[in-house]
Amino acid sequence: MHNILVLLRKEWRESLRNKMVLFGALFLPAFMVGAALFMIVQGQGVDIPGAQAALFNTALMYFLVLPAVIPLAIAVYSIVGEKEQQSLEPLLATPVTDLELFLGKALASVIPALVITWASFGLFLGLSIPFAGGVPPHVLTIPWLAAIFGLTPLLSLTSVGITMIVSSRASDARAAYQFSSFAILPPIVPLIIYSTRKALVSVALVGVEGGVLIVAAVAVLAIAVRLFRREQILTRWK
Amino acid sequence: MIRSEGLTRRFGAVTAVDGLDLVVERGEVFGFLGPNGAGKTTTVRMLAALIAPTAGGAHIGELQLGRDNRAIRRRVGVLTEAPGLYRRLSARDNLLLFARLHAVSDPSSRVERYLRLFDLWDRRDDLVGTLSKGMRQKLALARALVHDPDVLFLDEPTAGLDPEASRRVRELVESLRSKERTIFLCTHNLDEADRLCDRVELFKARIVALGKPAELKERMYGRRTVIHFGDRPQGLERALDLPFILDTEWADDALVVGLSDPERENPILVRRLVELGAEVRYVNELRVSLEDLYLDLMEEHDA
Repeated sequence: MHNILVLLRKEWRESLRNKMVLFGALFLPAFMVGAALFMIVQGQGVDIPGAQAALFNTALMYFLVLPAVIPLAIAVYSIVGEKEQQSLEPLLATPVTDLELFLGKALASVIPALVITWASFGLFLGLSIPFAGGVPPHVLTIPWLAAIFGLTPLLSLTSVGITMIVSSRASDARAAYQFSSFAILPPIVPLIIYSTRKALVSVALVGVEGGVLIVAAVAVLAIAVRLFRREQILTRWK
Repeated sequence: MIRSEGLTRRFGAVTAVDGLDLVVERGEVFGFLGPNGAGKTTTVRMLAALIAPTAGGAHIGELQLGRDNRAIRRRVGVLTEAPGLYRRLSARDNLLLFARLHAVSDPSSRVERYLRLFDLWDRRDDLVGTLSKGMRQKLALARALVHDPDVLFLDEPTAGLDPEASRRVRELVESLRSKERTIFLCTHNLDEADRLCDRVELFKARIVALGKPAELKERMYGRRTVIHFGDRPQGLERALDLPFILDTEWADDALVVGLSDPERENPILVRRLVELGAEVRYVNELRVSLEDLYLDLMEEHDA
C-alpha cells in the first residue's frame, strides 16, 4: 500500500505539471456540466414525453462520458511519458511489485476521474437551482444515482484498462491518444440506445449496462495486468 | 557477492547471453566490457532481477535470483544507460520518489546528503527538464545510490560528464570500493575501466577474456622493454646475444625487447647495450592500453 501511495503522489505531481493533461481533465467536465444543464432546461420546456426523456437521458450520459474520457489523458501520459523519458527501467529496479506499479498507474487515473465526475454532477445539481428553477425531479432518482455512482467506476476502470493496453503497444503519445479513443465506446453505445428510447432510464437498463461493464472491465484489466509485467515491459514494449 | 552459473537468456532464436559463469567478490570493481549488442544490458537486467534467465541462475550475496527477486532489488542499485529521470519533477522529488520506494528511513535527509554530494543541492527544486545533461547524469547516479545498495550496477556512469565531474565519479567509485560495496561497471570508456577495475571481463554473448587488466595485457603481449637511443645503432639487435631475449623489434628509433622477467633482465640488457657502444638515453616498460587489448581480443574472438 505504501508503494502505491508513493506512486500515486508521483503520478499526480507529474500530471499537475502537464498543461495538456490538466486542460483535458478540467475543460471537458466544465463543458459537460453546461451541456447537461442545457438539456435539462430544454427538456423542461418540452411537452412530448418521449422527447423530454431523450433530452434527460442525454444529460445523464454526459456524466457517464466523463469517467471514460478523463482517465485517457492521465493514463496515456502516465505510460507513454515513462516510455519517452525512459524512466520505467529505473522504476522497475526498485522493490515495487508489478501489481503495485499497475495499481499506482491505474488508480492515478481512476481516482481523479471519479472525483471530477462526481464533483461535476454536484456542480450540475447546484447550478440547476438558479438555471432550471430547482433540481429536476427525474435527476435525483434511483436509475440516475445508480448510473452516476455505480456505472462510473466501471467505465473508468474499463477506460484505463483499454488505455493501458494501447499505451503499452504505442511508442508515441499521439498514436496512443488516437487508439485509446476506443475507450469512449462503452458510454457512447448506451448513449445512442438511451437517446433513441422514448422512456427515461430505468433500473433494469442501468443493471444491464452494469453487467456488461463488469465483464468488459474484468476482461480488459486482466489483459492489462498481463501486459504490465517487468519482463514484458523491458523486453516487449517499444 | 555476485555469482552466476550458466546464466543464459534467449530472445526467440537469438541468444543474448550464453552460459555466463561469473564470480564478483565483495568490494570489487568489476568491469564488464563488450561492444554494443554484446548482451551487457541483458546480463545486468538478469542480475538485478529485472528479467528472468532462460537457463542457469545467479546469486546476489545469499539471495537467489528468481526466488528472492524483491530482496535483490532492495540490495542493488542500477544506473541505466539513459538517465531515465522524471523531467516534470524536481531533482529532489526524483530522489525522494526512489528513496521512498526503497523504504529509506528519513528520506529527506538521505536525499539532501546525495544532492550535496553531487553538487545539486542549489538546484534541488528545479525541474529535471531544466538541468544540463551532466547534472542529469549525476542525479541518476545519486538515484542509484540513494538506498545505499551493497551492489551497484553502473552503465556508462561518466557518459556526458565533464572531466571534473568524471573524476568525482571515479573518486566516488573508489570510496564505495573502500566501503566494501561491489561495483559492476559496464563502460566503453576503456581508460576508465583500466583505472578503476580490479578485474575486467571482455564479453560478447559469452566470455572472451577475464582477469586483472595488467594480467590480461601480459598474457596477450608479454612484457616488453622499450630502449631509446641517441642515434639508432645499425645491426644492434643482431649483436644482442642474450639468451633471455624473446624477440626484438624497432618502433621508430626505439628498440622494443620482449622479456620474461624484466626486473632481473633489464640491468643485464642495458649493460650489454652499453658494452656494444649504444648510447642508451632511457628505458621504460611498454604500456599497452586496455583499448589495444580489447580491440585485439575482440578481433581474435571474431576471427
